[in-house]
Amino acid sequence: MNPLLTFVVILIGLYGLSTSKNIIKSVFCVTITEAGVILLFLNLGNFEGGSVPIFLEGLSEIVDPLPQALMITTIVIGSTVTALALMLCIKIFHHFGSVEWEVVLRDGGDE
Amino acid sequence: MTASKLSVLRMVILVIKHGVLLGLMLFLFGVFYVSIEDLNVLYETFAKNYYLNNGFEDTYARNLVTAIYLDYRLFDSIFEAGILLIAVSGIMWISKHDIEKHNVHFMLDKFKTPDLFVMFARIVYPLMLVFGFYVVVNGHISPGGGFQGGAIIATAILILYYIDPNKETDSTFIVSIEKGVFLLIIAFAMVSIFTKGTMFTNPFTSTNADVQSIYLIVMNVLIGVKVALGLWTIFTAFLREGR
Repeated sequence: MNPLLTFVVILIGLYGLSTSKNIIKSVFCVTITEAGVILLFLNLGNFEGGSVPIFLEGLSEIVDPLPQALMITTIVIGSTVTALALMLCIKIFHHFGSVEWEVVLRDGGDE
Repeated sequence: MTASKLSVLRMVILVIKHGVLLGLMLFLFGVFYVSIEDLNVLYETFAKNYYLNNGFEDTYARNLVTAIYLDYRLFDSIFEAGILLIAVSGIMWISKHDIEKHNVHFMLDKFKTPDLFVMFARIVYPLMLVFGFYVVVNGHISPGGGFQGGAIIATAILILYYIDPNKETDSTFIVSIEKGVFLLIIAFAMVSIFTKGTMFTNPFTSTNADVQSIYLIVMNVLIGVKVALGLWTIFTAFLREGR
């Protein structure tokens, strides 16, 4: 996979993050950006015809295990952070009655 | 100034805003396009060859990803489990509610789950649980490990809510167990200071691969239990928020 495509995914996430008017859509865009970063890292040690990083006798053509081990961390942390953000969205909806950035910024500024 | 002029002005501002944004995106893309050659030049295969040549002798884990996150970089994994615990505690604290316990009944009423789905879930549930345990226990010799297997077990537990809608869960108790498991992970990672003199590595000094893999299996099971309980708690917290 071309690394340029992974950067296109990151840019789609950033563009959505700066233009979306809904808080839940912003959370989705953070997730898309994170997926792009994960793809970029997995791309680094990867090459055509490489086997899975499991040690067997006489095996030399494996993909790099280090980015994969780091990306396990990123995926677990990303899922929990997304859950935390969505829980905050629920609380915002119960408080302001809306999850639009405009409404929340307008009503939240008075307090 | 008339209203039509104002709307035209607003349109112009909108176009400029999006134009600047798109230009920034194109600039970032250009920067990456220029530096993409450096990425391939900077990448070194030294670490990969080191793990391939010494990974099995050092850690006795055939799966080199497991070798990294349970031995070489165990410190990272412990703090990753800690971040999971902190996030779950935050979710529990934010979702603090008057209703102490809640079940999935209102969801089933609202979305009208088909009987076929419930019937199929009854068949799939034990298979998913067994597959999750298989992935956790065989994490050091085959693809898998504690994090992935824990996610599979958590999914199986969530399916249980559809089979038995009257099920109620005390999520405070689950978080207490999770904290205990986290302390157990730290304690078991620190045992090696008594046998080898360094922390956060395999405590067994024998050269037999079967004896050495006890440590890997126990750590994988502990991490799997912790991840499964954490995801279960997150699900029940969202369940209590339902109206």
